[in-house]
Amino acid sequence: MNEYRRIRMPMTREDARSLRAGDMILLDGEITITAGLPTHHRILACAEEGRDPPIDIRNGSLLHLGSYSQDTADGGLEVLYMNPTTSTRFNPIMPRLIRHFGLTAVGGKGGLDAGCRQAMAEVGCVYLSFLGGGAPLHSGAITGVKAVAWNDLVAHYRLVRLSVQGLGPVTVGIDAHGNSLFETLSAQAQDRMPEILAQLDRDRSG
Amino acid sequence: MTFFGKESLPAMPITQQAVKTLSAQLYDWSLRRVPDDTKDALRRARATETHEGAQRVLEIMLGSALRAEQTDRFVCSDAGVPVFRVTLGANARWEGDLKAAITEGFAELVARIQPPLLKHVTNPLTNERGYQGKDMPLVTWEVESGVDWIEIACQPKALGSGRWAQAETFSFPSLADIEAYVMKAVMQAGSQHCPPVIIGVGIGGSFDVAAKIASKATYRAIGTVNPEPVLAAMEERLLRAVNATGFGPMGTGGDTTALAVHVDYSAGHGYTPVAVCFNCWINRRTRARIHADGTVERME
Repeated sequence: MNEYRRIRMPMTREDARSLRAGDMILLDGEITITAGLPTHHRILACAEEGRDPPIDIRNGSLLHLGSYSQDTADGGLEVLYMNPTTSTRFNPIMPRLIRHFGLTAVGGKGGLDAGCRQAMAEVGCVYLSFLGGGAPLHSGAITGVKAVAWNDLVAHYRLVRLSVQGLGPVTVGIDAHGNSLFETLSAQAQDRMPEILAQLDRDRSG
Repeated sequence: MTFFGKESLPAMPITQQAVKTLSAQLYDWSLRRVPDDTKDALRRARATETHEGAQRVLEIMLGSALRAEQTDRFVCSDAGVPVFRVTLGANARWEGDLKAAITEGFAELVARIQPPLLKHVTNPLTNERGYQGKDMPLVTWEVESGVDWIEIACQPKALGSGRWAQAETFSFPSLADIEAYVMKAVMQAGSQHCPPVIIGVGIGGSFDVAAKIASKATYRAIGTVNPEPVLAAMEERLLRAVNATGFGPMGTGGDTTALAVHVDYSAGHGYTPVAVCFNCWINRRTRARIHADGTVERME
């Protein structure tokens, strides 16, 4: 694990711009997470009405990670487990949030689309790809729960701020320079498809 | 294989309580462990991967699977919804309401499981989420001739890989048409279904039967050879084709987009539905039998 570069969160604009698609890094510091579409709608409403969301995400991160949060007996908060969710569900909303709040890091799994990639390049923001099925690893990196907002929502939809140490490794899926592994790989697979189908024909007749 | 729990004397009917207990256990177990065949396939993939980042991602996957076992925690935070397939031996005898047994087993599990489950059961008309809902758990019932056991298999399904399943109905398709359709489904899922995946393909029957066949095909252990030679060959070439796309582990590039392609079919009419579904890399899957003498045999 020592080989991975460690990045302090919230990520500085400079750190975000220093990363390249394909880099694998570990995260230390504070992150803000949610897995909820209703949550994104509420954050969008805040942006449109000029209000601050209950947890400040300006120049910070908004990661598509779902978590089980609950109150503890001593009046504190704890998160029992955490894991990424599919980010493309939020494609239509993310460009507005990235620009309005000047986010430096977004993430989850599966990537975001070209509209998001463009907003990220304008602002200086990266997309971090977390391991799906990585709950034992991700949860073990949580060192504290700083805040939980919108408790009327189901647990994984709430907006949660966590402190983490050594979260990852995560892969930079989209960098702040307009490079997206997801778009590149999809285009590459599309380019390869005629040959893949031709090979299937050869295999079938061979 | 492990045997445990003599729960009744020979020749007694299989009880509602036994089905309730076992179905809940199978769901619970499935959340905390990546099946052995799947871990072996991930290890083989790690050994043959040529993409450095993909090698690392596969290594991290194996680390996550190991940590889940060591700490008895969920591999994924999304426990999905409980999906069962129950095979009733044609000669099995049982007492009570087996459908209610599975519903009650899930309700009791929700109340006691640690760590608690997130609310994933969704009303599709309102998108409200909770722990209960119409027809939940989702159960497929089958009958098998010549046996006296009841087999229960559990495979929780979640949005991550579940949303990419699709079906299309063709008329008199060639094998090339069918395989091109599978590749179209693979392209649509792209990087998003937590690859490397296990792909199930169902060909023929009727619309519902094709989907059922595809889903059942994903229960087959990785590395087993399809007894139908035409399909065994199709599985091999489709696996090569899927892995030639380059999406790789977690869709960030590599040679390993699928661990297996499993295909089955049913006779039908000239209209031929083809269904394609995906299981993410953790491939949650458990299975056990309740024998006529009440013993429970855990298969996986």
